[in-house]
Amino acid sequence: MFSYDFMQNAFMAGTVVSIVAGIVGTFAVARNYAFLTHTLSEIGFAGAAFGLFAGWPALLGMMIATSGASLAIGALESGYTKRDNVTSAISALAIGLGILFLALGHTSTTAATGILFGSVLGISRQNLLLLIVLAIFVIVTLLINYRSLRQLAFDEAGIFLQSGRQKAVRYIFLVIIALSVSISSQLVGSLLIFVLVTLPAASAKYYATATTRLMVLAVIFALFGTWSGLSLAYLTNLPASFFIAVIEVLIYLVSVWQFQKNA
Amino acid sequence: MGIIRTKDFGIRYGEKSILAHVNIDVPTGRFFALLGENGAGKTSFVKALIGQNQQTDGELKLNTNRVGFVPQFRDITRDFPLNIAEFVALNYNKGWRLWLNKREKAAVYSALKLMDLADISDKRLGLASGGQKQRAFVAQALVQQPNLLILDESTASLDHEHKIRLLQTIKQLQETQHLTVLFITHELELVAQFADGYLLFENGHVTQGEVDELQSLTMKMTHIHAEDEVRHV
Repeated sequence: MFSYDFMQNAFMAGTVVSIVAGIVGTFAVARNYAFLTHTLSEIGFAGAAFGLFAGWPALLGMMIATSGASLAIGALESGYTKRDNVTSAISALAIGLGILFLALGHTSTTAATGILFGSVLGISRQNLLLLIVLAIFVIVTLLINYRSLRQLAFDEAGIFLQSGRQKAVRYIFLVIIALSVSISSQLVGSLLIFVLVTLPAASAKYYATATTRLMVLAVIFALFGTWSGLSLAYLTNLPASFFIAVIEVLIYLVSVWQFQKNA
Repeated sequence: MGIIRTKDFGIRYGEKSILAHVNIDVPTGRFFALLGENGAGKTSFVKALIGQNQQTDGELKLNTNRVGFVPQFRDITRDFPLNIAEFVALNYNKGWRLWLNKREKAAVYSALKLMDLADISDKRLGLASGGQKQRAFVAQALVQQPNLLILDESTASLDHEHKIRLLQTIKQLQETQHLTVLFITHELELVAQFADGYLLFENGHVTQGEVDELQSLTMKMTHIHAEDEVRHV
């Protein structure tokens, strides 16, 4: 299976994406950002469609759209009590725009399906390099701000001396999530972002009780799903996204079940 | 020099005045109770003190930047993953280090020990009892050895024995380490037992008083409360 270039690329991309999604997902889940993550992926779809329409790489359009939207949501977050409603409105607008740009750009169905459901077997060396650079950027940014991000994600109530730095960290966090969403969509498509960003981290929290262990376990769950999913896709000729989704959901259900049994 | 000093200090929410002409001077190393009805401005005052309230008038001086704060509300769900020691360590919120260094570890351990949590430090906070959670919140506020500790109704959810033990520990810290304590509470018997000064929030003003005045005030307020209860019946 590894004699094919496209399988090598797919596995490497899958590995990079799983590491980023597991680590960032741990923080996103702790801060209850599952819905925001999903919305950002829809906004990413609009960005990608616009990218294709404008003749840019889809990933670039996606990154710009998700980062911009997450900053906007961050700015509204403090003032609005019903964040989910604001997020829904932005999401509806994004999907509408996405459909518009797909139509205007006469984008082929294959390209559109690729954005929505992922096209991991079609990842080129060049795409892979870009993914690695982005992944390193996201992880380094996260590590530099590790302790303040950890407090923000796990215990916002404990932050009380509001410094300028503290406010900046909120935005840094949102941009990190936006970039991770864009990176992950290369693998599973924008419709299934939570399969890698949310589910592995949500499963990990039923086993691990320290931040570092949560991150490691989330990465392991993400990697397990990605590697098995890609292998099964190779063997069966069915979509990798499908297998990854099913495996991650199963891991999640088992985690919840075990936690409820023991707790 | 006092740790908190105000001069004609006031807080507004839009047009509405919450507090006005507040002139107080809280000396260092004292145990102050913040008293008053709900909505009298106790929490607003504390928020202003730690820089969360923007709409203020006059002068408010806080002579330390080492503050520990235990907020009144904190949403810890059953599936909250971190264990108690990790939760306490969240207060180390600067820098990038993934693990605690020796000094930080020792500080976490002694905060846990102070709050009787050392034996269950690896218990999930989400599965801890209400009292254990509350003590973990206080331990987190103490871990960086603050000069000022603010407790917002932190004993309300504890049973009587734990209330007394928690306050005895804090009283000890106040006396031995010169910690200043601001204790927001409605429990007047605890105030009489532990506090040595008070700030009474009433009708948009704040009155500062000493421990002996506090005794008669406590009696007066208990009396008022008793009358209230009779009326409710």
